[in-house]
Amino acid sequence: MKPEKDKPQAGTGKKAYMPTLARDIRKEWDLYLLLIPGILFILLFKYTPMYGIIIAFKDFNIFTGFADSPWVGWKHFEKLFTSPDFSRVFQNTVIISLLKIIILFPLPIVIALMLNEMKNMMFKRSVQTVIYLPHFLSWVIVSGLFIDLLSVNGGLVNKLLNSMGMESVAFFLDNSVFRSVLVTSAGWKETGWSTIVYLAAFSMIDPALYEAAKIDGASKWKQLWHITLPGIAPIIILMFILRLGNILEAGTEQILVMYNPVVYKVSDVIGTYVYRQGLGNQDYSFTTAVGLFEAVISFTLVVVGNSLSKKYLQRGIW
Amino acid sequence: MQLMKQDLDLKKITAGAGGNAIKSSPGEKLFAAFNYAFFILMGMTTMLPFINLLAKSLSSEQAVVSGRVGLFPIGIQFETYYYVLQDSMFLTSLRTSVLLTVIGTALSLFMTTITAYPLSKTRLRGRKWLLLMFVFTMLFSGGLIPTYLLMQNLNLVNTLPVLFLPAMVNVFNMLIIKNYFEGLPESLEESAKLDGAGNIRILIHIILPLSLPVLATIALFFAVAFWNDYFAAMIYITNPELKPLQLYLKELIVSSGGEFLKNNVDAAINMTPQSIQASSILLATIPILLVYPFLQKYFVKGVLVGSVKG
Repeated sequence: MKPEKDKPQAGTGKKAYMPTLARDIRKEWDLYLLLIPGILFILLFKYTPMYGIIIAFKDFNIFTGFADSPWVGWKHFEKLFTSPDFSRVFQNTVIISLLKIIILFPLPIVIALMLNEMKNMMFKRSVQTVIYLPHFLSWVIVSGLFIDLLSVNGGLVNKLLNSMGMESVAFFLDNSVFRSVLVTSAGWKETGWSTIVYLAAFSMIDPALYEAAKIDGASKWKQLWHITLPGIAPIIILMFILRLGNILEAGTEQILVMYNPVVYKVSDVIGTYVYRQGLGNQDYSFTTAVGLFEAVISFTLVVVGNSLSKKYLQRGIW
Repeated sequence: MQLMKQDLDLKKITAGAGGNAIKSSPGEKLFAAFNYAFFILMGMTTMLPFINLLAKSLSSEQAVVSGRVGLFPIGIQFETYYYVLQDSMFLTSLRTSVLLTVIGTALSLFMTTITAYPLSKTRLRGRKWLLLMFVFTMLFSGGLIPTYLLMQNLNLVNTLPVLFLPAMVNVFNMLIIKNYFEGLPESLEESAKLDGAGNIRILIHIILPLSLPVLATIALFFAVAFWNDYFAAMIYITNPELKPLQLYLKELIVSSGGEFLKNNVDAAINMTPQSIQASSILLATIPILLVYPFLQKYFVKGVLVGSVKG
């Protein structure tokens, strides 16, 4: 701890150039001190890998290293845009993401609205406790639960299908239903938890608005339509922007524990492809290019979405 | 008795909610009934997979193999738990996970808090740029491969620290804590300043004791994240001694319990892979089920404060 005490003195050296900055740093030197470990950490673990992206433009080889591997320009990106493998993976990613957005994005909003109408506080709190729980389970566990639930040999769902006179479905091996398994299990895990943001947003709405509406004789529907929904609209839009920014992250951690070679055709997404191709086959440069492609698109989507939101809704993420 | 008390509470609450207690129309009653039914169904759908798994883990081999087990165990036995709990691989990975969760949570909470505090001070010069520097890492990242190569260069592959070091400053959690700090009244700090206390003393003696709800929430988030992480371990860890529980479970599930039964000849005779999986999964869930109810009230409050403003 001692050497850092010299910090304010080091600051005084710059006094001639930036007098106020030096004074401020000296006055609050302990605040800056607290920041140093955090900054070092993100520099090392977040910004250094960003520098590592240069290997997307090189033919990287572990033995020659970062600096000495030859530059190859856009070679890996040309491969990316012509590779049938990648176009399949890209399609899967977008399809699975869109399915998840269309089906799972509105769900927590509806459920939060219903929960908000629940008058029995005890019941409401119990429901919240139960439906938040799956969020805290790992994908490994959730996958284990669903493999069991959907198993052909005595899984509850197939039992139900059989009892209705239908044939068993091999959910995890069937290319036509595997994506719905992904969407359903993601919904089971996250829908309850996702209501929390909207429930918080309700509490920000001025209760006087409802009082006034009641005096004017507005029905529950009218109140919902004219007070509640407009009240939470900014949050909905913000959540949507964030969600859209993640469109190329179709749920890598989920899919990695749930898929298998039989359903690669419909479920191999960018994240799983980078993992298998990059780490499994050590195709470092090409998969870094794939990762960069994903990162740039996501970044652009969030930034554009945010500036649109700021322009039209006077409210953004930052 | 308990029912009556519940009823009374309910009356108090509905009365307290003001206009809501006014006579409701038939339509509203119908909606309320539907609402109850919906949430009971949703609650059941959430719990069902667990009950099913519990039943399987407790049922006899024949019942599980023939696929007869539904929500209730058939031919009760507890041996699967016995076999799992004496398996050395399970115990090793359990130990790794506990160690990782405890160390990781403590360090991350510390690092994230000391980073959040200065950034919560609007008087901090350069605050905007510093914040941007942190937030940018949420929006853009080097990606899997460059990160992996970095860990390799740092010689962190196949060590325990690789599982918690990179995760120590979590920007999302940092922003939640920062927002909470910003919500505390300035006057608290000013009186301490007059007494000559420095920023660090103010943080420790005044700010932190007032921030327990948010700190508990974030501690829970970290603990759950470390306990649940299998991805980092799958990438960086090949040494079986260092595999955390979730990675062990993943391999158990992918091999359909085959690995376990190969190592436990005795179990192979008496157990089905399904029951072994079921009991292992449940055992790994227990710690979360134990901690969760106690912290739930904190995080509902804490997260609400942080997320709406953020």
